[in-house]
Amino acid sequence: MKGPISLLRRLGVAVAAFAAISLSAHAYPDKPIRLIVPFPPGGSNDIVGRLVAAKLGEVLGQQIIIENKPGAGGTVGTAAAARAEPDGYTLLVASVAYAYAPALRKLKYDPVKDFVTVGTMGTGPVAMSVNPEVPVASVQELVDYIKANPGKLTYSTAGIGSFQHLSSELFRSMTGADMIHVPFKGGGPAMQSTIAGETNVNIGTLVQQIPQIQAGRLKVLGVGSSERNGALPDVPTIDEAGVPGYLASNWWGILAPTGTPEAIVDQVSEALAKVVESDDIKKALSDQGAAAMKMNPAEFAAFMTAEMEKWAKVVKDAGIEPN
Amino acid sequence: MLENLAMGFGVALSLTNLAYCLLGVTLGTLIGVLPGVGPLVTIAMLLPITFGLDPTAALIMLAGIYYGAQYGGSTTAILVNLPGETASVVTCIDGYQMARKGRAGPALAISAIGSFFAGCVGTLLIATFGPLLGEWALEFGAAEYFSLMLMGLVSAAVLAHGDMVKSLAMVVLGLLVGLVGADVNSGIDRFTFDVLELTDGIGFTVMAVGIFAVAEIVTNLEHRESREVFSREVGRLMPSREELVASIKPIIRGTGVGAFFGMLPGTGPSISAFSAYMLEKKIARDPDRFGRGAIEGVAAPEASNNAAAQTAFIPTLTLGIPGSATMALVLGALIIQGIQPGPQVMSSNPELFWGLIASMWIGNAMLVALNLPMVGLWVRLLTVPYRWLFPSIVMFCALGNYSLNNSPVDVYLCAGMGVLGYVLAKLECPPAPLILGYVLGPLMEENLRRALIISRGDPAVFVERPISLAFLVATALILAVMILPAMRRAKGEAGD
Repeated sequence: MKGPISLLRRLGVAVAAFAAISLSAHAYPDKPIRLIVPFPPGGSNDIVGRLVAAKLGEVLGQQIIIENKPGAGGTVGTAAAARAEPDGYTLLVASVAYAYAPALRKLKYDPVKDFVTVGTMGTGPVAMSVNPEVPVASVQELVDYIKANPGKLTYSTAGIGSFQHLSSELFRSMTGADMIHVPFKGGGPAMQSTIAGETNVNIGTLVQQIPQIQAGRLKVLGVGSSERNGALPDVPTIDEAGVPGYLASNWWGILAPTGTPEAIVDQVSEALAKVVESDDIKKALSDQGAAAMKMNPAEFAAFMTAEMEKWAKVVKDAGIEPN
Repeated sequence: MLENLAMGFGVALSLTNLAYCLLGVTLGTLIGVLPGVGPLVTIAMLLPITFGLDPTAALIMLAGIYYGAQYGGSTTAILVNLPGETASVVTCIDGYQMARKGRAGPALAISAIGSFFAGCVGTLLIATFGPLLGEWALEFGAAEYFSLMLMGLVSAAVLAHGDMVKSLAMVVLGLLVGLVGADVNSGIDRFTFDVLELTDGIGFTVMAVGIFAVAEIVTNLEHRESREVFSREVGRLMPSREELVASIKPIIRGTGVGAFFGMLPGTGPSISAFSAYMLEKKIARDPDRFGRGAIEGVAAPEASNNAAAQTAFIPTLTLGIPGSATMALVLGALIIQGIQPGPQVMSSNPELFWGLIASMWIGNAMLVALNLPMVGLWVRLLTVPYRWLFPSIVMFCALGNYSLNNSPVDVYLCAGMGVLGYVLAKLECPPAPLILGYVLGPLMEENLRRALIISRGDPAVFVERPISLAFLVATALILAVMILPAMRRAKGEAGD
């Protein structure tokens, strides 16, 4: 009885030894990778991060552990990632919040110098909806209605400095619409108040609004992406429906602390591209009213610069005071 | 509905779903016992596992974790004054006193029984009136929330035993602590001293664990090794007949209060437990017993937080609007499964909806079967010498606080709150009003200002909306009931 087992065991040791040798040849990753999500569990950053991390771990052959470090609009977790050892074992989920944070807050990291871009995961637009009792049927009609009734409508957002808030401010500055801002703690309560008719307009994330739109509790006027969304093909973009040039989409990408070896950044970036192109992820994201988005490090860096400039201008134009 | 429920039980009673239900409630009990480690963190960690599961099984498991935690949360609250779950803070007040008097067993048992009853009623409510109640919860806007919170804060005076001035001071101190962080309405940071981690305020767990558990340990360590040893022998495990009879009405009232608050997004089990406790104290014939080991003070809040944990699923399931971060995560899990949570989920995925409801009932039965036999085991924990017990309590406190945000700052803050709690204990200031002020204050401010923004500054909004008006009238009545006897006494003295 003993013979075969000890033989197996020896075989196991041999296999392990062989595996160790082949690992040391291309060492990274030889231990679990930590992916910092600077927002609490349950938000879009977290859900997209977890979806992608599970697959990315399979491709890289290592487990990826999500670490939620929420606080101060994502800047607490981002600061922690900036201080981490740049060895490729700490990565950060960045979203549009990363791009506009410099305009809103004092940061404990340098958003340009402290991180290098690895790649993007996906993008999801905002949707503009109104309570069904608001007598408008399109974005243009809403703009006209507000012009005729300045200060009559209120809009709900997920809070001061939230992406919903900035998207709403972008709309206001592009149309001159005079509406009153009612901030909430989170997108759910904000949307609820618009459904209940306490507030009138809600520019919220599409994924959150879809079921309410389908149930007729919210009247959707447009989506913030450059193209129509597959989940709601009949709904025009805000750009085509009355506010040319309006574009407000959240996006999610992965950053690494500056100093992470280029070979590792490329390796993760290539693995990420594979994941983002897989049918599983494409479907999972489109179920969320989002879309997979693939960018290599250089493309992502250029995109990031553009986003930072765009949202800094929105913050400035809206007169939101930095904290 | 019976037909639907039958279908639901058909789904829930399948072997796989039963197994996931058991797994969920067991995990829930476990994390409930561990302080600080709450359902939010646990569900987040298990989320990737659910990707590969059938959506119904996934939801059944996640739901089990959520309501199971309310069962376990009372265990450490009663045994060592350490709230295992945020909603168990209130249970500390009388539960721990019961344990000190050698009645830990009955306290634990009654909390399991109360939770079971409340869980069953809550489930029944979802099954029968779910959609209707969901609509009703939508009627609650900023004005209604403000008036409700005002009523809560005024009733808080009831929490006081002994010195009224001290209780009021504690409420105000709680309000001040609640102010820390970015103001919702203006986005301006208050009292954060440029510490980024304070931007989102001081967490409930930090406060509850610090003020109750850590402070209790420090106080105990003062007496060298003599910590009022609870009875060396284990004592009775099950409640006596009198205790059971005394608990029936509080459990029913607690269930009602909990079911109400659970439906309102943003309030949740903690406020409901406080409210149930205050109600019991107010209507008790001898309110002096509260805070000294009254079994009603355990039965009502424990029933209440569990009822709230069940009815919290009403807005989540019928409207697709999460009432808390944990519920948002549960919805996220559904979205990943390709199910759009929202008003249509009942018709588009009936097996999911009814299966979940049936599983909740089964889960509650499992929980009571799981928890009652554990009572004996837990009570034996008290015979462990304190010098071995307290380091592990401190460690769990630190661990739990860290795990919330993965932030060391929360651990330091909790230690600081422990010091505050110790000072307050020395000054004989009751901690419960402090926690209540801390919870209600910011909610009140937020909703007051929001209501005024929406009404363009017109305060009449509070009396024009009927539900809000009703709460204000009730508040006035409570005030009158509290103040009139005092005034009469003063008059009598003046006349002498």
